[in-house]
Amino acid sequence: MKLSIENVGKCYRGKVWALRRFSLELKSGVLGLLGPNGAGKTTLMSILATITRATEGKVTWNDTDLATNPNTLRTVLGYLPQDFGVYPNLNTQEFLEYLAAVKGLDATAARRRIDQLLNLVNLADVRSRPLGGFSGGMKQRVGIAQALLNDPQLLIVDEPTAGLDPEERVRFRNLLSELSGERIVILSTHIVSDVEATATDIALISNGALVAHAAPEDLLRRVEGRVWEWVVPSADLNAVKQCYRISNTARRSDGVHVRVLTEEPPAGAQPVAPTLEDAYLDSLSIYRAGATA
Amino acid sequence: MKRGRVLWHLVKADFLGRVRRTSFLVTLAFAVFLGYQTFAGHVVLRLDDYRGVYNSAWVGALMGVVTSSFLTLVGFYIVKGAILRDETTRVGQILAATPMSKSFYTLAKFLGNFAVLAAMVLVMAGAALCMQMFRAEDRALHLWTLLSPLLLYALPAMAFVAALAVLFETLPVLRGGVGNVAWFFLWTGLLAAGIGPAVTHGGSLTRADYFHDFSGLPTMVVQMRTALLKVDPGFQDGISLSIGGKPPQHRFVWTGIRWDSVQVAARLTWFAYAIAAALLASLFFHRFDPARERFARKQQEAPDRPAVQELAAARELVRSDPWAGRLTPLPPASVKNRFFSVVVAELRLMLQGHRWWWYAVAGGLIVACLAAPLSASSGGIILAAWIWPILIWSQMGSREARYATGSLIFSAPHALQRQLPAVWVAGVLVTLAAGGGLAIRLLIARDLHGLAGFVVAACFIPSLALALGVWSGSSKSFEALYTVWWYTGAAHHISGLDFTGTVAASSRPGIYLLLTVMLLAACWMRRRTQLAYA
Repeated sequence: MKLSIENVGKCYRGKVWALRRFSLELKSGVLGLLGPNGAGKTTLMSILATITRATEGKVTWNDTDLATNPNTLRTVLGYLPQDFGVYPNLNTQEFLEYLAAVKGLDATAARRRIDQLLNLVNLADVRSRPLGGFSGGMKQRVGIAQALLNDPQLLIVDEPTAGLDPEERVRFRNLLSELSGERIVILSTHIVSDVEATATDIALISNGALVAHAAPEDLLRRVEGRVWEWVVPSADLNAVKQCYRISNTARRSDGVHVRVLTEEPPAGAQPVAPTLEDAYLDSLSIYRAGATA
Repeated sequence: MKRGRVLWHLVKADFLGRVRRTSFLVTLAFAVFLGYQTFAGHVVLRLDDYRGVYNSAWVGALMGVVTSSFLTLVGFYIVKGAILRDETTRVGQILAATPMSKSFYTLAKFLGNFAVLAAMVLVMAGAALCMQMFRAEDRALHLWTLLSPLLLYALPAMAFVAALAVLFETLPVLRGGVGNVAWFFLWTGLLAAGIGPAVTHGGSLTRADYFHDFSGLPTMVVQMRTALLKVDPGFQDGISLSIGGKPPQHRFVWTGIRWDSVQVAARLTWFAYAIAAALLASLFFHRFDPARERFARKQQEAPDRPAVQELAAARELVRSDPWAGRLTPLPPASVKNRFFSVVVAELRLMLQGHRWWWYAVAGGLIVACLAAPLSASSGGIILAAWIWPILIWSQMGSREARYATGSLIFSAPHALQRQLPAVWVAGVLVTLAAGGGLAIRLLIARDLHGLAGFVVAACFIPSLALALGVWSGSSKSFEALYTVWWYTGAAHHISGLDFTGTVAASSRPGIYLLLTVMLLAACWMRRRTQLAYA
């Protein structure tokens, strides 16, 4: 099982490049795709889901070019887009049965699978309710269920936890971790904690380019010894912001706890264990500095 | 002052939002096309075998009534959807959270609609100018005479249409496809209500008649008739505004409409009707309240589970409720290329969500086709049977765009080769079933020509729906075109336009078979471009 992205680029009208010379090779596991808004994550997802055609470059699934034979991938693809709709007059069961037919599942297998999925996403109680009355979070869970209908080998999920409550979010993270065994899961998000909990690999993307591709441990190792925290009075916060790259601030009774990324420790600062958010901010700022230079 | 500024920005944003879409260019192109057809003499206003010399008076009057008669029909379909757009883009919810009143909003939407329709009137004014210059029968340009019919006939009619479009959108029954079909009949009624008195009162209009005259055509022809009677006292009242047909052989000079205060007041009253309709719309406007929107939650939501504030607590909860093992792997043979499963799924999608009485009427029409005399079955009953499922057909090809399910469906395998044909087959099955009673009758009567026409029609109708749906991404175009076609062509059994194919005299199955093939090819081509990888 192998998904290869070779020098892929996507140019929209007005010669706006959303993605440029993007290369990546994926094997089974969960890839967390992280990047700021407008980085090109959704464009990449759409290309991999065969919704959008790349302007340049090539995407292959098990060495089959998607441009010539997209159905090789589509039969084993589960896709949860960032924005999707449902047919409001259908209920959950009917909607999933419809998509199962479109995906080519046989009726008996589809019914069994839908039962399992509805239990999995906690929608079994409301399976007969028209989707038009569903909340955003419930609709998102229908989306998750449909993506898993055909037991996909490649699961692409774009901002999957948007609209989910904390409990459902954790359930979904666990689900992704357990699904990742013999399949490729691509999780696009800007919520670092979602990636932290599930990803076996992380790809950082900015301005349509790949900034870094590494295991979470490797990314964390890059910032080890460079994350510091100390307490400053509220009045000094602006001055600190001018001097340091701040990754987090928290107001407490004793002042503002400031977390910074720097080589030289500020006076009175204590070293702290880096988080993935620190590593993400560090990689992005290094990339941006390089791009500006 | 402040309200005026808000209104200006609302109308401006609405207008700019529309004119920057390709559909607006299509709208203008249609106005240009109609203007050209009039210019080329394909749209003719005739009084017996007479028409006026193309001077400012005749050209202006012709353009004015063409706009107020024909463009009002199309204009409604063009502008309807302004509130729906605010709903789907969620801009409406932002507006609803401002102090803006409902009447202010519906008035703003009316003015936005009117601005778009006024742009079409402007195009027609340009066409009128060109027509007089290039036809060159009388080049003396009298601007007021040329433009006054457009200003006083077309613009008030357009204003009323703009307001009705807002009113339709706020009425739950009329905001969807039912409204699109109903508008055609309302439009026919509006034209007829104005023309009626001109016929029944022996060529003169009462003061009240001016106020019922929607298009201005009756008011104008009464004056034309008076002028023509001076030229030809034997004139017999044969007045028509028609598309196509043999051009009139004789010409007479008409110097233009003599506007009096009653006529001007009557025309301006249509603006008042328009404002009244826009204000009436505010009474039904739901102000983007999700609970009152179309797919309002009909049932009480299941009680929320206790909120879990901390992720750590949620993690613990999930640990005690492992889901692993609940999802068993799918056997490899479960995924196959099953065309007929997709057809059944599409059929279920089409037929679901209607009220019981919808099925009752559909069933009643099938039985009526079977039980009534063959002449009645192949006449009025099949017409009724093939207008009844219009809202089912109009969803074909546009459903994915309307409900934003394209990314889910187009990422499935063989979307072009399997899902698109399945939609078509399901549509054909619905059409065959709707008129099934007649098919059985034709078989029993061994009317093979009638049966061939029936089968071709059953293929043609869903093909037209699918092609328009796939190309426009909206159900509106089919609902509008089919209703007009059904009424003008099929209901009147006009040769060549009667697609039902069940009346031998007007049936042209060969032409409709060819059209069906062309429409299907058009569907295929368009869907290919919609799919990144076909």
